[in-house]
Amino acid sequence: MLEVNSINVYYGPIHAIKDLSFEVKSGEIVALIGANGAGKSTVLKTMSGLLRSKTGSIVFDGKDIKKTEAHRIVRDGLAQVPEGRRIFLQMTVLENLEMGAYTQKTVSDAELENIFKLFPRLKERSKQIAGTLSGGEQQMLAMGRALMSKPKLLMLDEPSMGLAPLIVEQIFEIIESLNRAGTTILLVEQNAGKALEIANRAYVLETGEITLSGTGEELSQSDEVRKAYLGG
Amino acid sequence: MSVFSTIVSQIFNGLQSGSVYALVALGYSMVYGIIMLLNFAHGDIIMVGAYIVWILMSFLALPPAIGAVAAVAGCTLLGVAIEKVAYAPLRKSPRLSLLITAIGVSFFLENAAQLVMGAGSKPMPTIIKGTNIEIGSAHISFVSVVTIIVSVITMLLLTLLVQKTKMGKAMRAVSEDMDSARLMGININRTISFTFAVGSALAGIAAVLYSCAYPQASPTMGSMLGLKAFVAAVLGGIGSIPGAMIGGFAIGLLEALVSAAGLSVWKDGVVFGILIIVLIVKPTGIMGRKMNEKV
Repeated sequence: MLEVNSINVYYGPIHAIKDLSFEVKSGEIVALIGANGAGKSTVLKTMSGLLRSKTGSIVFDGKDIKKTEAHRIVRDGLAQVPEGRRIFLQMTVLENLEMGAYTQKTVSDAELENIFKLFPRLKERSKQIAGTLSGGEQQMLAMGRALMSKPKLLMLDEPSMGLAPLIVEQIFEIIESLNRAGTTILLVEQNAGKALEIANRAYVLETGEITLSGTGEELSQSDEVRKAYLGG
Repeated sequence: MSVFSTIVSQIFNGLQSGSVYALVALGYSMVYGIIMLLNFAHGDIIMVGAYIVWILMSFLALPPAIGAVAAVAGCTLLGVAIEKVAYAPLRKSPRLSLLITAIGVSFFLENAAQLVMGAGSKPMPTIIKGTNIEIGSAHISFVSVVTIIVSVITMLLLTLLVQKTKMGKAMRAVSEDMDSARLMGININRTISFTFAVGSALAGIAAVLYSCAYPQASPTMGSMLGLKAFVAAVLGGIGSIPGAMIGGFAIGLLEALVSAAGLSVWKDGVVFGILIIVLIVKPTGIMGRKMNEKV
């Protein structure tokens, strides 16, 4: 579904992503793990068209989107839940969800009901200003908002960041249930243990390069990953 | 004239100029909200609007309605064109470059107008005619009643647009977090163009109303009006739509109050004094929120 071939991304003179290739097959959960500053978010931003690769190709659903404008990529079915959630804090919960459905002709009630079934808290708080939500609720809103665009592939950037363990557990369960319902997932996580638990396959990213790849299980048993990311 | 009639007529004067300030301040505030630019060319758009009215009504002898509609349409197009030509190429440049460019556009418009229309002022034809209204011994001019009503209706429509429509919500989303808005599939460039179109249309309406009250057009007429509207926007809280409305009416009423007290020579000084006080005491203005740090 997503094939990335030797992309190179720069921040001014800094070479952030070096000749990176990976793929996500339809129906999979793929995790991209790595330390802070390894370039994980940069990869997702490049997929979404917020950053540009100087080389290579990004083929999504049979179409090269390397030069496609960010707002068209969403329309094609590739959505992202950005790092730090980035919900619209001054708008209501419902308005945030409506913005998620911006690419759709109308905000479908059925889709909204689906989201509310997945995240009942959002329904209770739909009239509330998003800035008043707790961290976990904000993460749920960010996910619900991205789902409103009916993505084929959902990319999540650090969904567990800053959340209590119980909420993290909940978020990961929801990610798995979304995947079972047919959404392909590309997950970026610093919480490597959790990510490898649910991932079919994973890549390890170090300073802009992929150093390891394999199934979630393989990686969680590999010595290098255990030492570097799983604390022993 | 009794004290009562002085007060009543000064309140109406204040509301009249206040509603024009509010319309102009809205344009400042909306543009600042979306691209963090103090668009100092905004006042000069009003000047162009006034000349459009003059050309159509005095030069081509067309009816006022056509002059008014053409002024609003012309201002809208001009605002969008300025954004496309001057500001859009600087989307990734530092904000200072954008600000300097806005001042440049302002000089360009004023000098272009002087070149084409001459430096002297042109007398405006009568746009709105009607009988004045009397409340007790106070005379309220028909123009000021029309100005206030038109402005209030315009502001209600704007509020509806921004709060309820898809495009209005997209505007708010873009002004809060541009990258996040792009991830929603919102076309940033189109949303920014739309914001300039709306802000400039409001300036066009302000141009017509202002020309009713001060019936002459000159190349620099927009700069003082623009600056006072800028003060109104800052007073209300730059970036805030209700703030711009409140700030506009507050500045208008304050000016009228100062004039009523017999200090009309101090009018401009008082307005800019307000700017200094707001910037020292509460830079976010009346309705301004603390900016969320974007990390």
